[in-house]
Parts: sequence; structure tokens; C-alpha cells
Amino acid sequence: MTDKPRMTALRLHKALYPIWRNDPGWKGVLTTVNNNTIGNMFIIGATGMFLAGGILAMLIRAQLASPRSAFMGPEIYNQIFTMHGTIMMFLFAIPFFEALTVFLLPGMLGTRDLAFPRLSSYGFWCYMIGSTIMIVALLAGVAPDGGWFMYPPLSSTAFSSGINADIWLLGISFIEISAIGAAIEVVVTVLRYRAVGMSLDKLPIFAWYMLVVAVMILTAFPPMILGSLILELERAFDMPFFQAEHGGDSLLWQHLFWLFGHPEVYIIFLPAAGVISMVLPVMARTTLLGYGWVVAAAISLAVLSFGLWVHHMFTTGIPHMGLAFFSAVSTLVAVPTGVQIFAWIGTLWKGRPEMHLPMLWILGFFVTFVMGGLTGVMVAMVPFDWQAHDSYFIVAHLHYVLIGGYVFPMIAGIYYWLPVLTGRKRFFRMGEVAFWLVMAGFHGTFLLLHWAGLLGMRRRIDVVEAGSGWELINLLASISGFVLAIGFGLVILDVAVNAFVAVRGRRNPWNAGTLEWATPIPGPAYNVASIPVVNSRYPLHDNPDLPVQIARGEGFLGEPVRNRRETLAVSVARGEPEFISVFPNNTIVPFVMAVVTSVMFMAPVFKWYSLMFIAAGGVTVLALVWAWANGSRRDEGLLDAGRGVFLPPHTEVAYPPGWWGSLFLLLADSVLFGSLLFGYAFLWTVAPNWPPPRILQTGIPGPVLALAGAALASGGIRLADRAIRAQGQPWPGLLASLAGLAALVAAAGTVFAGTTYNAHAYDATLWVIAGYVVFHAGIAGLMVLFLLGRIGAGYISSRRFGDARVVRLWIDYAVLAALIGLGGAWLPGVLS
Amino acid sequence: MTDMLRISIPLTVWIAAFSAVYGLQGIICSDLWRTAGLTTGQGRIALIVLGVAAVALQVAMQVLLRRPRFASPLPWVQRVATILAYVALVATLWSFLPVVSTSLCL
Repeated sequence: MTDKPRMTALRLHKALYPIWRNDPGWKGVLTTVNNNTIGNMFIIGATGMFLAGGILAMLIRAQLASPRSAFMGPEIYNQIFTMHGTIMMFLFAIPFFEALTVFLLPGMLGTRDLAFPRLSSYGFWCYMIGSTIMIVALLAGVAPDGGWFMYPPLSSTAFSSGINADIWLLGISFIEISAIGAAIEVVVTVLRYRAVGMSLDKLPIFAWYMLVVAVMILTAFPPMILGSLILELERAFDMPFFQAEHGGDSLLWQHLFWLFGHPEVYIIFLPAAGVISMVLPVMARTTLLGYGWVVAAAISLAVLSFGLWVHHMFTTGIPHMGLAFFSAVSTLVAVPTGVQIFAWIGTLWKGRPEMHLPMLWILGFFVTFVMGGLTGVMVAMVPFDWQAHDSYFIVAHLHYVLIGGYVFPMIAGIYYWLPVLTGRKRFFRMGEVAFWLVMAGFHGTFLLLHWAGLLGMRRRIDVVEAGSGWELINLLASISGFVLAIGFGLVILDVAVNAFVAVRGRRNPWNAGTLEWATPIPGPAYNVASIPVVNSRYPLHDNPDLPVQIARGEGFLGEPVRNRRETLAVSVARGEPEFISVFPNNTIVPFVMAVVTSVMFMAPVFKWYSLMFIAAGGVTVLALVWAWANGSRRDEGLLDAGRGVFLPPHTEVAYPPGWWGSLFLLLADSVLFGSLLFGYAFLWTVAPNWPPPRILQTGIPGPVLALAGAALASGGIRLADRAIRAQGQPWPGLLASLAGLAALVAAAGTVFAGTTYNAHAYDATLWVIAGYVVFHAGIAGLMVLFLLGRIGAGYISSRRFGDARVVRLWIDYAVLAALIGLGGAWLPGVLS
Repeated sequence: MTDMLRISIPLTVWIAAFSAVYGLQGIICSDLWRTAGLTTGQGRIALIVLGVAAVALQVAMQVLLRRPRFASPLPWVQRVATILAYVALVATLWSFLPVVSTSLCL
């Protein structure tokens, strides 16, 4: 504690509120960087997409309710089912849990915001703009129509000549910026922004789940982004990655898509499991049984899920041994899932459960998800899958897993955290009626559709033939489907009515033990008035006075003496205070950047490449404006963090938050690069018409330029870093780095010069590899120039050298990618 | 971060080994293998060697994680890391079983 007079809760609120509040009016919507506001907007947006996807589902059921229905033709039906899957997977499921996480995580961890508030805003606006584009495309009749996994050659120009497929490939890639951004936010926040004393074993279990999910997003999404990019390159420039006659292979798309697609199932399930692990113990008035086992199960599930992707490809003619590898892991993955289920059952066993509405939804989850899990084990068996593949059995199975395993727990979570989200106590009781309607409607629809699948009904057919034996099943499933829709509609109505007109509630009505219940409800913009000190996983149970102590400023940073947005960063393992992180103020830059980014992604749909390059320039300028606003022009030294502790600001540590963010962005980037190299090896090994007719001749200049460039770029930035810390001249080192990066670009240029981009899949792949090298060397070069500007403007000193460390990280990555990528490109020439 | 690495390395090694075995099996069944003058029988031996190496690596990590030099000072982290190392070992044994029990390129 400091010697200064103790603040009252009200005085502290009055001091903090002007610092953290949003801008007034509509301007505030566009400029906010606050996690509560963005989380709320995100939840509303994702719910809107759930409604849109649900309406499309009802159109599908209307079409299939009667034999040879004339409700819609196949062209429209193809768009409807493609957009139903696309919306539910990409525009609802992932954004909804991200939204909930953006809202809840800072409060749960006892910190004031997520690690990169502007990134939250940018991700949200990318999501909203991208989703709007997809919906407009649907209304305009040019929506994607090749199924939500867009297999070529169906999605290639030969069979999809319009812009429908381009909208999917570019639109979804654009929206995934939001997922990647949120994942980086979550990883850095969970690792570095927590209450003091919150060591890894004291993390709220939801934070553990979200940490695991975020790392999964960073490693699962890049293969699909790469697949979308190269399929778009094929469509736009005839680079034949998937055309067998030119050395391509459509199976490459399936590998890249399902490398994303199967982990995606667990990316969706694990946040729901996190919600259950938070809500269930509170409903059972106990603590989670087997916390360590549950963490280990979540991590196991996450990693094992990356060894399953081929089980979506069992019918593609892959050799039996290959199938057996993936069948084995598909059975193995049931074990950690089972560990979690038994931990939850054990928690119920040791507690005294109360049947509140969130508990009802969790019980609905248990029944439905276990059934979906069992059919999952069935389709993990290769012989069974050969019979059921692409039938309605699979449609039924995936809905059991996704709705039972994701939507039901999320609804439980929404009802559980409704007081935190809205500040109100649930009053209207439509939720119970809605639950039973949903359960009856859901099982009436999808239990029956298993049967239709076993009778041979293929997925995605637009008519049910009379006499097929599926007519009655489909009629009953459609009636049940409408009951299900009414049930979900009632849930949304119930939540909305309670959110707007129910009476104000009291703090922590469930008597929960975690920190999101320690703040007034709904949470203030600054989340916690001071950063608490915790000693267990359930700090509110240990110390019921903690909310008052936090509000009075008795934790860290309890006095906003520097009049800026500050929070505490802690050590990864033990949660010990390490530095003070200063957050940015409200800004319009993320919103503008999202708009310009959308132009960059959407211009190629209409072949407006000049506009695309102009927009890319705009994004670059805005990114520099964004980064320039960080930092300080003066050394501040150690600052008072409260409780007698003095810490440096983030500008004066070696590895600032920007370094951590870059590290995890580069993790995703490296997975994309690894997927590209996998594609290169896959085509060379498996695709027809290889080896290519002409192999790139390595020569001497390319490798010499690459090696010299690598040495100069990496050595130069290290010299500059050392000079900055020794108060010397960093210019020579930075100029050497620039020269090295230019040499890497020239080395990549020899690959362009020696190949023809559309001659063969080999040439096309080398162009993408060389393009990747040029792109990263270019980014690193821009960062060096940026660093030069920062030095000139006084942002860098012997204490403030974090920017140089960030640039060093990017240069090292560019160098490594160049050596591996160009080495791989030249290797066949050397061997031949 | 060292503790996060302790937790994540065994399963990461498993997925790397899994990818390597699957990749090698793809190469063995491709024209590249035959062009190099190698037989399917040699391919199976290569897969078995790789599989055994992966198991040995997992066993080595079990041993290393118990050494004071590599063990976590936090008991909870040490326990979770040990559980995950066992999971990785079992996953290696189970997922590589097809190397000795199924046809190679049919």
C-alpha cells in the first residue's frame, strides 16, 4: 500500500471513467477500442448472422419437405446451402465465441482490456464489413454456390465461371483477419495480462480453453487461407495448382481445407467446453473436478485434432495405411473428450446441483453431444465411412456435434453471464419454453435425418424424389426444423427482452468465485478499478471483500496519477508484475483500415487490380500511422504501480507487447509457409504430370545473393540493436539490413526470371514461394525504414529499444523464409 | 514461456513425427521411390525405423522431464507436462501401429 490517502470507490470511478470512456454518440461506435463495447457489438453481429443462417436453414427444409418441390431451383438452392454452411461456420460459430471472449476475458483475468485494443476494433470491423458483403452477395444472387468447402474443380473457373466462388475465397479470407487478430489478442492477454498472483495453475479454466483455441486458430486457419489464395490465383491468372493436366491436383485443396476444417470442429467445441467448465461447477455449487486433467485434455484434444484431417477424405483413394493413421487418431481423440465429460459428471457428483436455466442447456448438451460423439466414432471407422460418406448421416452427425456441442453450451453461457453482459436479472421466463422447443425440434429434425442418410439420401440434393423412401422422414424433419427455429427465435427474444427491460440485478447473483463477477454490472469501461492480487482459482470465494478492495483501488494501479490508460503485464508462469502497459486512446484508424482492407480484398473479385494495389498502399500507410502512435519520446524510468512496487512502462522493456503480438502472428505466418512447402512436396510426390517439363536452373547469382542478403540483413539489425543500447549510431547496421533485404528480393527475382507462372503447377508454386519471400523482405524493409524514422523522431533510446527488437524478429523471419523457400525452389535444379 | 514449452513440446513432437511418417509413406508409394531404385520392403523398414525413433524420442522426453535441469519448478506445471508426455507417448504408439499392421500402398 502507498502512504497516500485511500481513495473511495466513487472517487476512483470518477477518476478512471473519463480516461477509459468511449467518445460520445455515433462517433464512439466507430472509434471505440473498449473490449466491453466491441464485445457487445460483436455478440449482436454474430447473433444476426445466426438468424441469417437459420433463415437459410428453414428455406432448405421448406424445399425438402415435399417430393419434387418447386419452391426453388437448383441454382438458388446451391447458393442457399452453401451460404447456410458458410454463415454458420465462419460468420456465426467462430465470431460468437470470439465476441464472448472479447467481452469476458479481461474481467475474468482481472485486467483492464485485451492486449491490443485497436486490434479488437479492427477485427470487429473486418468481420462486420466482410459479413455484410457476403449477405449482399446472397441477396444479389451471386453468392458462393460450391458448398461450404468449395472443392475444385467444381469451384474452378471451368465449372464456376461467375464471381460467386471469388466472393467466397476473398470474402472468407478477409473475414479470417478477424479470427487471427482475436487469436493473437487472446494468447498475449492470457499469457501476459492477468491479476497479480494468477499463476498458470490459477487461471480461470475458460482462459486455458481460450488460450488453447487461440493457438489452434493461429495454426489451423493459415492452410485454408493459403488454399483460398492459390485457388483465387488459379481462377484469376490460370496458375494451375489444381489442374491435373498441368501438374496440379484437386486433392491438394482437400488437404489444405481439411487441415483447417477438422481442427475447426474442435476450435468450435473447445470454447463451449470452456463455458461448461465455468458454468457447471457454479450450478453444482462446487469447484471443477480434475482441473489439471481438464487442462491436459483440452491441450491433447487440440493437438490430436491436427492428426485427423484425412478422415474427411477416406473415399478419395488414399492407400490403406494412410487411412489407418487417421482412423487411429480419430479414435484416440475420443479419449480426452471423454476425460472432460467424466470431469463434468464428477463435478456434478461432488456438488449439489441446482436446476437453473443454464444448467438445463448443459444437460441438453450432454444428451446431444454424447450422441453426436458416438456417431463420430462410427464415421471414424473407414468401412462405415465409405458407406455413410456424403450422405445425410453425416449431415445429422455434424449438426449433433455443432449444435449440441456448441450452440447449447453457448446459450447456457449467455444466460449465465447475462448479468455481466447487461447488468440485469433475468425476469421473463420464455427461456424454459424455448429450451424444450429446441430440444424437441432438434432431435425431431436430426435424429430422423440419420435414418434418411442410412437409406441413401445424399447431402446437397435439391429435390427428394417421390418413391425414394425419404419423403416422410423429410416432411417430419422439416416440421421439426421449424419447431427448432421457433425455439431459437424465442431464445433470442428472451435474451433481448431481458437485456433491455428486466430489472437491474445485483453483483454476482450465482455466488461464483471468478473475477468477472468482482466488478459492478454491467462492467465499467476500465473493467477493474485496480489490478487485484489473487491466491487461488476462485478468489471471490477466498475473499468475499475483494470486489470492494478492487473498487477502492487497493490493488495495483489503483490511482490513475498519470492520467492515461494503464494496466499491468505479468510474468507468464507465476503472474508476477513485470511492467506497466499503456493502452491507446479511442481512434478511428482501425475502422478506416478495415474499410480500406475490404477494398483491397474485394477489388480482385471484379478484376480491379489497380484499385487493389492502391488499397494495399492505403493499408500500409494506415498500418504505419497505427504503429507510429505507440511509444514515448522520453525515458520515464520506473513508475509507481501501487502497493509499493515500481515498474517500467512497456516502452522500456526489451520485449514489449508488440514483440509478443508479432511472435504469434509469425507463428500463423510460418504455418502458412509450411503449408505452402507441404503443397510443393505433395504435388511433386502425388500429382500427375510430374516432374515438370522444365526445371529451374539454380545458377550462381541467386544463391550468392540469398546467402549474402541473409548475412547482411540479420547481422545489420543486430549491429543496430547493439548500437542503440550503447547510445551509438544505428544507421550503418540498419542500412546494411536494408541492403541485405534488397539482395533477398533480387535472389527471389531469379526464380521469377527462370520460370513461367502459368506453365505448370511447379512454376506456379515457385512463383508463390518467391512472392512470399519478396513480400516478407518488403515488410521487413518497410519496418527498417520505419525504425529509422522513429530514431529520427526521438522514439528510440538506450532504454527504449523494443521497436528494434520487433524489427529484428521480422527480419529474422524474412531471412529464414528466404533461405528455406528459395533453397526448396533451387534444390531440384541442383539435384538434376 | 519455458513452462508453456514444457507443456506443449511432447505433443508437438508427436504431430511432427506423425506428419513425417505420413509424408514418408506418401513418398514410398510414389514414383519417386521406385525411380530411386528402392523397393516397398525397404520402404516399410524406413517407416518402422522412423516410428521407432519417434517412440524413442517420446521416451527420452519422459526421462528428461523428470531431470531437475528440465523439470518445472512449479509442481502443477510439472504434473500437467508429465500427463501430456504420457499422452504423446500413447498417441505415438497407437497412431504408428498401422506401420506394422496394414498394407503399404494398396
